[in-house]
Amino acid sequence: MTKVEGEYDIEAVRAEWIGRKTPVYHGRYPVEYDPIRRYCHMVEDDNPLFLDPEYAATTKWGGVIVPPVMTDYFAGGGAWPEEDEPALVLQVPTRGDRTINLNISWEFIRPARIGDRLSRQTEIEDVYEKRTRLDPRSIWIAAKTTIFNQDGEVIAIGRNTMVAHRRPEEFAAELEGNGA
Amino acid sequence: MSGEPRAQRYWDDVSTGDDLEGFTFTLGWTELAKQVSGSQDFHKVHHDFEFAREGGHETIFYNTGFTRGCLGRLLTDWMGPEGWIKTFGFQMRRMNTPGDVMSVKGRVRGKAEGDDPETGVVNLEIWIENTREGVTTPGTATVLLPRRAQSTS
Repeated sequence: MTKVEGEYDIEAVRAEWIGRKTPVYHGRYPVEYDPIRRYCHMVEDDNPLFLDPEYAATTKWGGVIVPPVMTDYFAGGGAWPEEDEPALVLQVPTRGDRTINLNISWEFIRPARIGDRLSRQTEIEDVYEKRTRLDPRSIWIAAKTTIFNQDGEVIAIGRNTMVAHRRPEEFAAELEGNGA
Repeated sequence: MSGEPRAQRYWDDVSTGDDLEGFTFTLGWTELAKQVSGSQDFHKVHHDFEFAREGGHETIFYNTGFTRGCLGRLLTDWMGPEGWIKTFGFQMRRMNTPGDVMSVKGRVRGKAEGDDPETGVVNLEIWIENTREGVTTPGTATVLLPRRAQSTS
């Protein structure tokens, strides 16, 4: 998180960051069976469409497909070793260095299959200040991520609104100063 | 071993007001470990109690990947193998935290024919609730289901 110490100018941040895009990043590895198995295990999903190659081959998909909601997993580098560039949303200057996701939406256009190589590009769509329960001057960052396959086809478009907030002790004096 | 193939659901048989079957988890330490394993989200706010409290949270809360995976399973269980999630969205308004009994649910809000003669469109309300806070994660989804006459399986 790019926390700004001292004066924070939301209009300057908006002017500089809205519309900014990443390059197209490529997923570290192809779509593989085992991460799908772990993802399904997380939510006790034993659906053979995602876990059993023999069964999946008999369906209209012709093989295992990625559970749509985990598609972006394969367009990233994973948690470790860290990628060179932090996620774009974490580069936007904010008041605090704590973050939570609030609103998530996805459009799924076509499936990802075992062996596919996925890529992603993220764009900052909006940055604004709005109160949350965690911080009266939270910074909201809305971003759009497009996922491509190895043929350059768009397979999914995601939107995420993340809130960056301060720790309570960081704005306690501000509340006292306002008589809040 | 995986489970049994999901039954195919057909657009023709769906009615507004139908409930999705859903499922329930009691969120314990094993679920805490599985959310990190499955999502590979190592953000400390989801597993480090002290870090979470310093940030103004009462405790840690289960992550976005886990939340998204639960709602995704709700839909793919219900649709059957030929269904497709077209759009999907949710808001994380309250937390699901250790000890919570959490249920994942949905309801049909409407249906339409759509552009493709082989499939029909179903609009759904989906959500996660827990016994401590009620609905924590409201959402919506639009899915495509095969029509009975044109289905290939």
